[in-house]
Amino acid sequence: MSKKVLVVDDDPDVRSFVVTVLEENLYIPLVARDGVEGLEMIEKASPDLVILDVLMPRGSGIRLYRHLKTDPVFKNLPVIMFTGIALRSFLKSQKALDEFKGGKIPMPEIYLEKPVEPEELVRAIQKKIG
Amino acid sequence: MPANKILIVDDEEIIVRLLAMSLKSDGYETVTAYNGEQGLAAFKSESPDIVVTDIKMPGMDGLELLKKIKEISLETEVIIVTGHGDIDSTIIALQFGASDFINKPVRDEALAIALERAKAKIHIREKLEEYTKNLEQKITEATEEIRRKSNFQRLLIRSSNDAIVAFDQDWKIVVYNPEAAGIFGEKAVDVKNKMTIQNLYTPKLVDIFKAQAKKRPEPDDMPWKEMVLQAKDGRQIPVRYTTTVLHEDGEFMGIVNFFQDLTEIKRLEKDLVHSERLAAVGQTISGLAHYVKNILIGLKGGSYVVDVGMKKNNTQKLKIGWETIKKNIGRVADLTQDLLTYSKEREPERQPCFPNEIVDDVIDLVTDFATTNGINISKETDPGIGEVIVDPQTIHRTLLNLVNNAMDACLEDEDTSKTFAILVKTTLGSDKTICLEVRDNGCGMDEQTLERLFNPMFSTKGGKGTGLGLLVTGKLVEEHKGKIDTNTRLGQGTTFIITLPYEKVGAVETKEDEL
Repeated sequence: MSKKVLVVDDDPDVRSFVVTVLEENLYIPLVARDGVEGLEMIEKASPDLVILDVLMPRGSGIRLYRHLKTDPVFKNLPVIMFTGIALRSFLKSQKALDEFKGGKIPMPEIYLEKPVEPEELVRAIQKKIG
Repeated sequence: MPANKILIVDDEEIIVRLLAMSLKSDGYETVTAYNGEQGLAAFKSESPDIVVTDIKMPGMDGLELLKKIKEISLETEVIIVTGHGDIDSTIIALQFGASDFINKPVRDEALAIALERAKAKIHIREKLEEYTKNLEQKITEATEEIRRKSNFQRLLIRSSNDAIVAFDQDWKIVVYNPEAAGIFGEKAVDVKNKMTIQNLYTPKLVDIFKAQAKKRPEPDDMPWKEMVLQAKDGRQIPVRYTTTVLHEDGEFMGIVNFFQDLTEIKRLEKDLVHSERLAAVGQTISGLAHYVKNILIGLKGGSYVVDVGMKKNNTQKLKIGWETIKKNIGRVADLTQDLLTYSKEREPERQPCFPNEIVDDVIDLVTDFATTNGINISKETDPGIGEVIVDPQTIHRTLLNLVNNAMDACLEDEDTSKTFAILVKTTLGSDKTICLEVRDNGCGMDEQTLERLFNPMFSTKGGKGTGLGLLVTGKLVEEHKGKIDTNTRLGQGTTFIITLPYEKVGAVETKEDEL
């Protein structure tokens, strides 16, 4: 059975690109437009992998990533960060949150900086879920 | 110095001795001589204050001695001792300048009186001399002071950075410094004491100053004002000026004008604004790079989707991909326009148009996006605004930008229970202005955001904003001599109000008054 991949991104262009890449590689695409919708979708549809944007209105990727990694149910759900901001900035904001909220969350296993070639995205997905 | 030394000259030795003794006992210092020659020699060596001399003497007589003494010192008092009835000699002695006469035989009282008189005369003369000398000194000092002061004032006027032009009570130009020559372009020699106010100023300016001169009660110095002067060679010179009306004992004496040439200051101001904007553009570049990267991501993604669509003959994919590409081309176009607008001077292109129709155009453009995202857009236009002369581009672009921002503010809002609504409103303002209002009930702004609203590169939209939108809006409004007001409450929404001045259609275009 094909695996379900959720793409959380507020940019419709990015969504249609990722969805197309997923379809081409025989995954089942799911979409969410922001962090809040993303969490709902994760709870509802149990995707095998999440491709997560960082800067979004209403529930940023930073917050959703943190939520997933500290929730015992979703802790092991693979996440690919897929974003326009540099890893450095992402880590900086996570570090600030570490200090603020206490506790440490793991680094994202895969962090892709846009623009990303379709092949690169596919390799990343395959690496995580085959 | 008291007149104290007396020379006694007589050929009769006994008389000389008696007189000398008597005078010595009166406290005088005496010098004696027994003939004219001796008398003259003693006069030269002793410089007595008073001489008492007999007329008749062998050799040089008293008259001759008198003459010689007067040649040496006009001021020496010479008392002549004469015999009875010697009128002729007496007259000659008077002519030679003798001070007094006493008769022979010399009596002490007569001599004492004559001496007192001589002493008084000497005293008066000394005083007079002293006064004259003082007076001369004082006049020299006063003259020097006046010269110094007038010189100082002349230099002050000459070297003043202000152009100074002064008129007397007949409006003749009496002061015209080099700075004034620089501004008005007329040489000082052709102006000073030759021209009147009409020759130098335009009739309008003449009227202003003449009115000021007539004002009662006498006004204090006028506050500085600005205007544009038309120089003789046609140059337009921006100046600040002030006027002082001169009065003496309530009588009108003339006026003084001070002008400051603002050309350089205006130029510097303009340069400063220009370079500040260039710097801002520079700062914006990092924000821009981000934005451009997002466009690139869109274009790449779109072209991939199109490739897949072509390969699979999938029209749906083709359509989605192509839309993405077109949208991003549009973003490049908008960005380019924003950049151009922001980086160069633009004069509003005012023309007759209907602002309410522009509102409709803008709403049409965004309705699709708004509906997709559950935002309700409505309008309230003032029917009182008909056709007016404004720059339609300014209205279109600023409204579109504000409405786009309003929609972003709604999408950004975490409170999804709201029914998002945007209102675009127009009202006819007072004093020939129209107000364009864009109100949303989105996320609102905190104070920090509000403060940085018109800063370049500032964007709350991550890489999705250029940080140029409000900057361009602000610039367009400013160039149109309008203003932007902002009201916002965090979590409640934001209202932007643009106020723009307009001209009535059909009104004759009036140039600003030239002075």
